[in-house]
Amino acid sequence: MGKLSEAFVGLDKKTALQVVREELESGRDPLDLVDEARKGLERVGEKFDSGEYFLMELMRAAQIFQAAAEVLNPAIRQAYGEVTTKGRVLLGTVAGDIHDLGKNIVKILLECRGVEVIDLGVDVPAEKFVRSVQENHPQVVGLSALLTASVAEMNRTTEAIEKAGLRDQVRVIFGGGIVGEIGASRLKADFATTDVNQGIRQIEQWIGRVDPGAGMT
Amino acid sequence: MTETMTHYERIIAAYRLEEPDRVPVIPINSYFLPYHVGMTIRQAQREPDRLIQAHLDHQDLLGDAVHPFQSGHDHLGLFGRTGWDQTTLDWRIYEDFPPKGNLPNLYEKDIIEDYDDVFERGFSTLLFNLKLENQIWKRSVHDFLYFEFDYLKVWAAAWRRFVEESGISLLLGGRACHPLDLLQYYRGIFNLVSDLYEQPEKVKAMCEWLAEYEAVRAMGRAMTMGAGEVPGADTILFINGGPPGLSPAMFDEFYFPYAKKMIDMFVKRGFKVHNHWDTDLTPNLRTIARLADGLPKGKLLMDFEKTNMKKAKEILGDKMCIAGNVPVVMLIYGTVAEVEDYCKTLIHDCAEGGGYMLGGECDIPWDAKPENVRAMVEAARKFGQYKASGRESKGREARSGFSPNERRILEEIKAGLQPPTREELDRVTAKWLFGSNTETMMKYAPWSFVLTKLMWKKGEEPWAR
Repeated sequence: MGKLSEAFVGLDKKTALQVVREELESGRDPLDLVDEARKGLERVGEKFDSGEYFLMELMRAAQIFQAAAEVLNPAIRQAYGEVTTKGRVLLGTVAGDIHDLGKNIVKILLECRGVEVIDLGVDVPAEKFVRSVQENHPQVVGLSALLTASVAEMNRTTEAIEKAGLRDQVRVIFGGGIVGEIGASRLKADFATTDVNQGIRQIEQWIGRVDPGAGMT
Repeated sequence: MTETMTHYERIIAAYRLEEPDRVPVIPINSYFLPYHVGMTIRQAQREPDRLIQAHLDHQDLLGDAVHPFQSGHDHLGLFGRTGWDQTTLDWRIYEDFPPKGNLPNLYEKDIIEDYDDVFERGFSTLLFNLKLENQIWKRSVHDFLYFEFDYLKVWAAAWRRFVEESGISLLLGGRACHPLDLLQYYRGIFNLVSDLYEQPEKVKAMCEWLAEYEAVRAMGRAMTMGAGEVPGADTILFINGGPPGLSPAMFDEFYFPYAKKMIDMFVKRGFKVHNHWDTDLTPNLRTIARLADGLPKGKLLMDFEKTNMKKAKEILGDKMCIAGNVPVVMLIYGTVAEVEDYCKTLIHDCAEGGGYMLGGECDIPWDAKPENVRAMVEAARKFGQYKASGRESKGREARSGFSPNERRILEEIKAGLQPPTREELDRVTAKWLFGSNTETMMKYAPWSFVLTKLMWKKGEEPWAR
């Protein structure tokens, strides 16, 4: 594991940024550094899975990645021009619910992995999801909620996507405090989870592995 | 199935880590019962007599203690009350349940931009912060005056009547919130994560600042609700939702000290504390056990959401009463048999030796199936009988006020209470409102709110939106 990955695992933002700057100055390929940073992030994810790290550490690692990306992006643009993302995910908290914590965590972690995220915000009506699927053609639609009552709204939103004839074009994932406990037969999603890492993995599996530089600019 | 204790005696015995006649059951009903009887949210918020009657008519769904619903709309007053405050809750008066209406939601916004600014100017300027949906300014004068000055007294009288008529205890009198929970709403989770790593001392100073405010006002509220006179009103519901996913080390550093400070203050001044813990805190149980250090038994209840209850019993069982964990999702989507089985297992794992109450993970959802809530309440009777009751009471005679034993318990509580003085309440409220300008502002009270205008920065004024 390189110095940059180690800095991620140690959640040491100062060292991570210092390594990025020094390595860029010494002429290292910025995409190598992105790759190493993502390995560090993955290692943090593994520690989260094993119970050694908690959600707070996972979010901190993502923040460090964002800070590193700010330094790396100009170097990537200079070396490679614009790099496009390979995956696009549409996220939003369904109508009647204004909780956005879970959605925001998923968003930041997906962006760190080079996935483009279109965030519709909170209290989003089903029609707005449908419109955005038609306009943006995401591979995945992520519906978030905390309130128990919102489960019905998640199902209604998925039905609206289906009625618009778009269901075959997207995978639908439900995330939030309660959905993981409800039997899959009651949910109209392709996948539902309360575990952020599990959700991220599923989305990545659906959209395929992204290129090292994807999403960095 | 013989019941030899009153609802209140049963609750008190469990708090004292003794075996009551059977396991007490305490579903937290804020919205479930109004919905079940066909009331709208507006009616539940505005018609205390009707709501109380609904509770009296449906005691089979209530258990041994009831959550006095009025705490659910604390946010309707400009200065809030306790717990989630006016800056973190939606201020709307909702009309109805979903899908027509909605329940009050918690905000998580970047309301505090600079800790030092709040220390200096207090929260008064934030009351006008444009990031808040402060619809309170669009209300009628009547609504404003009612929710600011009258409603708590009206509701306290209504719930006192309910307790006197039903014998069912109140679950709480006042409510407080852990300062770090409040900070999550003031700063948003991502800013708070940065703060915990990059400016921990400011976070700690703000927690210290908010802890006293929350605690003193919660005790003041409990007094209004009848602490020492109404069973259960001396209990503070202490919300420890917890920013999600704190590691045990961070929990010890940022969460434990302020929880301990507030709990100590409550207990040393004669109040009981019903601690509500969201998420799974199994890794933190040994730290939570230390919350009882130096305190007398019989004052603490730990009410858990996802925490492993068997482990909680093992680690906390000889120090504090435990409750919670019946999944709210099961109450909506599950069957009566599933609820019964879950409750039976919980009772099997936790009830031995006393110090246990059967309860849900959190508030019973408004759309829970009534038969499932009834099954949970019944499970305490069906599976929660203790072989030999530690103490025996003749019980409460129907609708004749409190039993002699209940009156004795209340007298003991009343004698031990050290409620906040008017001066103390004014001091913490003024400090919260005006920060380091408190002394000057209080000198010129009641003109302080006019003077607040001078503290607004450009663009903060309510008319700037």
